[in-house]
Amino acid sequence: MGVNISAPYIYVCTRMRMRKSKLLPKEEYQRMLNMSVSEITRIVGESEYKQEIDELGTTFKGIDLIEVALSWNLAKEYQKIQEITPGTLKQFTQVYLRRWDIQNVLTILRGKMQGVPSGKIKEILVPAGSLDKVALDRMLTEESPDRIIEMLKDHRMFPVLTREYPLAKESGSFSHMENELYKHLYANIINDAKSGVKGGASFLAYIQLEIDIKNVKTLFRLRADKVDEEAREMFIPGGSLSLADFASLNAIKDLNEFIDMIRANISNDTLHVLLDEVKTKKGGVQYIEARLTRVQLEQMEKMSKRNPFSIHPILVYLEKKKYEVFNLRALARGKESQLPSEKIVDYLVM
Amino acid sequence: MALRDIKPTRSELINLKRKIQLSERGYKILKMKRDGLILEFFKILANAKDSRGELLRKYERAAEMMALANTVEGAIGVKSAAFSVKEVPEVHLKSKNIMGVVVPQIDSNKVRKSVIDRGYGVLGTSTVIDETASAFEELVEAIIESAEIETTMKRLLDEIEKTKRRVNALEFKVIPELTEARDFIKMRLDEMEREELFRMKKIKSRNTA
Repeated sequence: MGVNISAPYIYVCTRMRMRKSKLLPKEEYQRMLNMSVSEITRIVGESEYKQEIDELGTTFKGIDLIEVALSWNLAKEYQKIQEITPGTLKQFTQVYLRRWDIQNVLTILRGKMQGVPSGKIKEILVPAGSLDKVALDRMLTEESPDRIIEMLKDHRMFPVLTREYPLAKESGSFSHMENELYKHLYANIINDAKSGVKGGASFLAYIQLEIDIKNVKTLFRLRADKVDEEAREMFIPGGSLSLADFASLNAIKDLNEFIDMIRANISNDTLHVLLDEVKTKKGGVQYIEARLTRVQLEQMEKMSKRNPFSIHPILVYLEKKKYEVFNLRALARGKESQLPSEKIVDYLVM
Repeated sequence: MALRDIKPTRSELINLKRKIQLSERGYKILKMKRDGLILEFFKILANAKDSRGELLRKYERAAEMMALANTVEGAIGVKSAAFSVKEVPEVHLKSKNIMGVVVPQIDSNKVRKSVIDRGYGVLGTSTVIDETASAFEELVEAIIESAEIETTMKRLLDEIEKTKRRVNALEFKVIPELTEARDFIKMRLDEMEREELFRMKKIKSRNTA
């Protein structure tokens, strides 16, 4: 942490900590696990999400109302944070939230290709990135995917879209383009973090952690699906693993050997503890994925305590807010689907 | 066939005898066909029971996975991933013959896909989407298999019913009626022969007297 910290940085980091303290505590989730859907709806309607619930109450009902209200609140909160963060923190926050742009643009392109009505596509957009509601609405009015891409001329994902879209259009599958967009996003984030701006090192440390966790999640997923040949395409550079490490890890059939090799390549104590647990307990990939997310959040929290006036408190809040929304949605959806509480709790990130 | 409509002639008797022979042959063949179809039906019934059980299990698993996907990814995530489906499964319908019954043979492809071929990106989604997609692919496969088996079973049942009706009609209606008509003609012909003999004897005795 630098010695000279400007007042706006201190101010915004303190605000983030304040906002984080307002998030639902673990005990509240435990309490909600014993509630019915209508009780959860009431609690959500009386909390921070009241405004969205009231706004959307006429358009949506029941569980859909909760889900859309939660997403809208998340988008609104993220937009607000992008407004209040100063200087390089704003730049880092914006580049970090660009993943939502990727998700929204891909949803619009896929929806348009499949001939889904604009209203239906709009319901599943979360304008939490740099493309706000107005920009997404404008894109939705366009019928041609080529024109939609044209509208993104000033966006950082434009080069990848122009490069990959013709291939995606020809093959009818956007999967390669989607992977490329995410890889490009991480490459951009690393470039920005390494550009020498103040606080870049802290941002880089977090991004490397995220890339490591993402690569490990991908490796577990590819193992479950027994994908060998095209695995290299899923590798995100910039973390502790090299492409060669990733490919050789994916080729290992024995779980213990696989885990030992991850341990040797990525130095992270919390991750090591989890990997040891996986070795003995052998949970499913979904369980491992949820646990890896918890490891990531735990590490972020540690980083945020070590660097209290950096990008870390903002990122921790962004992630914790996201998981609050995910948890509430999981609780409501899980209860609606009559999943047992013990199963729902496995997927909550607390 | 009413007995009064029958002409008691020798040619009619020959005709009837031929018909009886033909009916009995048909009866035997149809009976064998019915028994054969029943055997085939029982063979398929065992498969149908298994496939129906499997279908129900896979349906429950798919529904559970969908609930889980909605829980973990939300309806937004699930719908967004569903937009990426690029190819729908192809079903090819052929037919095969089981003892004269034409039954469907359904071949399918592009049902099961690897995570790479499903159309969504691996880096933007989670495992629960893979497992849900996989559960639904298995369900579609089970539906296709069940459709083939259950249609075959239905067609076999229809054919068994039809054959049974024919066998019964031959056994209890056609053959007894023909036999009765044959016996009637035989009796009438014998009667006529006796009358003729008696008449001849009468004429002969009148002539000698």
